[in-house]
Amino acid sequence: MNPLLTPELGTYVWSLVIFMTVLFVLRKYAWNPLLDFLEEREKDIAESLKMAESAKTDLEQIKDESEKILNEAKKEGKAIVGDSKLRAEESAAKILNDAKAKSNEFLDDAKSKIEIEKKRAIKEIKEEVVDLSLELATKVLQRNVKDDDNSKFIKSSLEAVKVDEAKS
Amino acid sequence: MFIAEKVGKEWTMDQAPQYAIDHVANSKKNIFEFEFLNSLSEKISNFFGISSESLFYIDLGISKHVFLLFFVSFIVVSTIVTLIQGYISHKKNIPNKFMSIIEMFVIYLRDDVLKNFIGDKEYRSWAPLVYTIFFFVLFGNVLGLIPIFDLTGLIGKIGYKAEMLGKDNILYLLSKGGHTVTANVNVTFAIATITFVAFIAAGIQKYGFVQHWKNLAPSGLPWPLYFVVVPIEFMGLFIRPLALTLRLAGNMMGGHIALIIFITFIFSATAELGGLAGFGIAPFSISLALGLTMLELLVAVIQAYVFALLTAVFIGMAIHVDH
Repeated sequence: MNPLLTPELGTYVWSLVIFMTVLFVLRKYAWNPLLDFLEEREKDIAESLKMAESAKTDLEQIKDESEKILNEAKKEGKAIVGDSKLRAEESAAKILNDAKAKSNEFLDDAKSKIEIEKKRAIKEIKEEVVDLSLELATKVLQRNVKDDDNSKFIKSSLEAVKVDEAKS
Repeated sequence: MFIAEKVGKEWTMDQAPQYAIDHVANSKKNIFEFEFLNSLSEKISNFFGISSESLFYIDLGISKHVFLLFFVSFIVVSTIVTLIQGYISHKKNIPNKFMSIIEMFVIYLRDDVLKNFIGDKEYRSWAPLVYTIFFFVLFGNVLGLIPIFDLTGLIGKIGYKAEMLGKDNILYLLSKGGHTVTANVNVTFAIATITFVAFIAAGIQKYGFVQHWKNLAPSGLPWPLYFVVVPIEFMGLFIRPLALTLRLAGNMMGGHIALIIFITFIFSATAELGGLAGFGIAPFSISLALGLTMLELLVAVIQAYVFALLTAVFIGMAIHVDH
């Protein structure tokens, strides 16, 4: 019999026993723990990938939201600035108008006062003129002057009064 | 020439095949003798009515290959358990160099073989078996390629000649016989037996005893066909483990025999044609042997993978009966 094909039942039995022992030991201390470990690790990886994915979408959402808020704020700011500008312009115009009205009032007031003062002054001058005329008349009467001298004098006095009147 | 004369005395060309066979076969003698094992062998054999002269005598003595089985299983268990326990207990997710090789095989077998052939849910209960088969066969194949016991044999031989060691010293006895457990048909047949039991158990577990055997033949055939199909399927059931046995043992034997024959070219050339021819042929033979050893490394991995793959396929076939 060829030694390579001889049945050796002893070797066969030993092989069975040894292989089963190895199987038992490795199953308990190597394969099952390793498979559990690998499964856990794969689960971890899958979970963290999922988490990363959700974090990414969350981030995008937040980004979108913040952009929205920013845009709104910008719009609002613009509106506020525009509004205040308008209001400022309005109030400036109002102030200006008020000032103008007031100054006009002052002016009118001043004008009317001047008018009154003028009238009074004229009146006073007229009274003065009358007084002067009277004085002149008396002077004329007291003095011995010629007729034409007299008339000349009266004329010039009257002209002076006229000039004074015109000047005032 | 001196060398040629010396070699010629011990070597003739027609010795080569027997020399190669002796280098692969189990040792003729047990290398360790234990009294209780001998008596146990006798008792068991007597129980089955097998005489000690019979070919089927159950000799439980520690032959070279049984010793190697212990050696291989020790290396497998210590290496794998140390690496995996270290890897898991550290909680580091980075495996070291050896662990990443194991993890590569484990993940590959799980995703491409176990889940594929056995199923996503059922694979867990059969994974340890397939992994153990793969690594046990792989370590057996690879350790057979490392000539550790040639070295011990050399030391033993020198020690014996120098009268330092006894005639039956262990170191010398260890060099007798092959180094590859997986080249022994009895060893591979034992592993194939486990595969055989496993795929029958898988079927019975899934479908129950009766339905499992009914699954052997597809239903819905015209009844006369069953007279053909059932015997064929039944034969197929037993041919599967036999094919596993012979495939692995044959591959391992063949490689090692070719390796030894290439080396014996040197002795044959020296004995027949003189020392110069031996020197001339040595580079040729050694480079051939080197190339073949590389090829054998590849075969070692492939055969381990094939054994594990077919185990998974057979279990899957028993679980997923698609008719």
